[in-house]
Amino acid sequence: MSELPPIPRPEQAPLPPPPGQRRIVLPPHRQRARRPWSVRAREWIRRNLFPSPGGTLLTLLSAGVMGIMLAGVIWFVFFDANWNVITANRWLLFAGSFPREEAWRLWTSIAVVMFLIGLAYGTWSSLGRRDTLFVVLTGAFVIFLMAHGGASIWSSIWFLVAIGLLYVGYYLTIWMPRETSTRRAWQQRIVGGLLALSLPIVLIVLMANGGATTRQFDGFVLNLILAPVGIVGGLVVAIPLALGRASTMRTIKWTCTAYIEIVRGAPLLGWLFVALFILTDVIGDNLIINTMVVLAVFTGAYMAEYIRGGLQALPSGQYEAAQAVGLTKLQSMQLIILPQALRISIPPIVGQAIAIWKDTTLVTIILTLRELKGNADSAIAQSEFIPDRIEAYVFVAVVFWVVAFMMSRVSQRLERAQGIGER
Amino acid sequence: MTDELTPVDIIAESAGPKEAAVAQPAANGEGEVYSPRLAGSKDIIITEHVDKWFGDFQALDDVSLRIKEHEIVVILGPSGSGKSTYIRCLNRLEEHDAGRIVIDGIEMNEDVRAMAAIRSEVGMVFQQFNLFPHISVLSNITLGPQKVRHMPKLEAEALAMQLLERVGIPEQADKFPSQLSGGQQQRVAIARALAMQPKIMLFDEPTSALDPEMIKEVLDVMQELAESGMTMIVVTHEMGFAREVADRLVFFDEGALVEQGTPEHFFTNPREERTKLFLSQIL
Repeated sequence: MSELPPIPRPEQAPLPPPPGQRRIVLPPHRQRARRPWSVRAREWIRRNLFPSPGGTLLTLLSAGVMGIMLAGVIWFVFFDANWNVITANRWLLFAGSFPREEAWRLWTSIAVVMFLIGLAYGTWSSLGRRDTLFVVLTGAFVIFLMAHGGASIWSSIWFLVAIGLLYVGYYLTIWMPRETSTRRAWQQRIVGGLLALSLPIVLIVLMANGGATTRQFDGFVLNLILAPVGIVGGLVVAIPLALGRASTMRTIKWTCTAYIEIVRGAPLLGWLFVALFILTDVIGDNLIINTMVVLAVFTGAYMAEYIRGGLQALPSGQYEAAQAVGLTKLQSMQLIILPQALRISIPPIVGQAIAIWKDTTLVTIILTLRELKGNADSAIAQSEFIPDRIEAYVFVAVVFWVVAFMMSRVSQRLERAQGIGER
Repeated sequence: MTDELTPVDIIAESAGPKEAAVAQPAANGEGEVYSPRLAGSKDIIITEHVDKWFGDFQALDDVSLRIKEHEIVVILGPSGSGKSTYIRCLNRLEEHDAGRIVIDGIEMNEDVRAMAAIRSEVGMVFQQFNLFPHISVLSNITLGPQKVRHMPKLEAEALAMQLLERVGIPEQADKFPSQLSGGQQQRVAIARALAMQPKIMLFDEPTSALDPEMIKEVLDVMQELAESGMTMIVVTHEMGFAREVADRLVFFDEGALVEQGTPEHFFTNPREERTKLFLSQIL
């Protein structure tokens, strides 16, 4: 048999220099970084935008579409639209029939919540450049609205103070060490407890000592109150429901399953009619309270299913280990199972939170409740603003998007902060 | 051999060491002594005619076994032979369907207090470690003493550090389980079980999920534990460990206890055909 031709070999890399005179060799992508930026920019553009004829075509196509859309948006926002409908009605949209002389209660609530968010970010996460950009843009947007509409300078200052408090809270906690320690545990307990209490705190600030009544919650403020009540109340309902549905006791299991299936089987709109026509006889004629109950009941059914998913995702070894260590059922649920199950179900729970946030607009069907979208309807019902309905709805959409986007960012942070110790 | 064990009359004694239902064997040392060092120690685990069914499948078939205090028993058998089911019955991770199990004088039954008493006497180490991934290594160990034995936190932490020293990884205390190697995780699991200060330790294939180079570090800890006088029941395929450390080997097949004897008996002169076949495959 004839000898096979030799396999062509690539050039051998030079041997590393003997120890003592070792040069630091950068990996390839770092080596490129040392070349002038113009060369790197050209290369980046070629590689990412024009890699092949097909790629070039796609780049041009999408650039064209994006350009047309952007031009349209800019034309609408800066030249075509008449934003007077927003600026003239900004109080109606923001708080509606909330008494104006009690406005300080709103500002104080916002400031308190911002401060707590700052504390939480400093404790479990950090604010990056993108977050700062987001805060600056949103803040500029709000202050522009207030200034343009001729609001008093004090409301702008109040708002700036609130943003300032976000950073005060942040820098209070960000420097604290993150390693597990008794101090860290207390810090987490305190900040977590304050966050959990933020809703009652806000309600007290709004209502205590001759403040607003629930019936005066109106406009965007109503959305901002209904959604957290629905989300927090939903979680409170959901945890026992999920545990009950996973229970081995038949009656408990069937009751919880029936609750979940019945509530999920009808749309939120239907349940809001229940708040309007049935709960008035059961609970009382305060429709805001009835709506809060319905939102919590409705959200709870969905969240219970997500938590049940988290429970099922846990390996059975966790239950067995908890038993073998000697924990009672209650203890192992509280200390071992639920913390892990809740962590697994963070993404769908936040998804449900965003959904219920947007669904707060549905309370418009209860005519005495006027939230942001409902008040936008009344704003464009005024004869001078009839032509400006697109402006009004675009504004409402942007406001909802901003809050939903914040929630999804927080969810990502939560997942990352909780990621430690993952299996 | 199981047939030779005579059923023992049980005298219920009210003044037993535990509040829960107490039953003492009539005479001390009814079980056979497999090692001279065990002469005079009492039977700490008594199982009589235990059956266990999973649906139509019989996992345990009339298993009777007595284990003495300080004894090291290694359970062998092919997969599905019921050896894991047997030791899981010993701390009621599985409920047995027939027969009786008495652990350190406590009869295992529906009584929740009896079960709690037994679980505090019996520590368990799992094949998959089953550490709690969301809390630190130290908290994994202090959890049981703090929550079940109501030990003050500082005391529990001191105990945990002492146990981590014993298994050789005190420097890992503040890490999370996922940051540890398999062998280290299993050693933490052993420390976690020891923290409850059990009289009996159950090991359910403790090295089967480990990379070969990590098996030894776990076996060393187990050997040290055996030398300290712990009563241990070990399901394992580590024949070196069985030969060196065990007082008695027990062979299970198809849910039944087929043969038991000293390591010497097993490795030189097994009696049953099934045992011979199994050993020839595994050695």
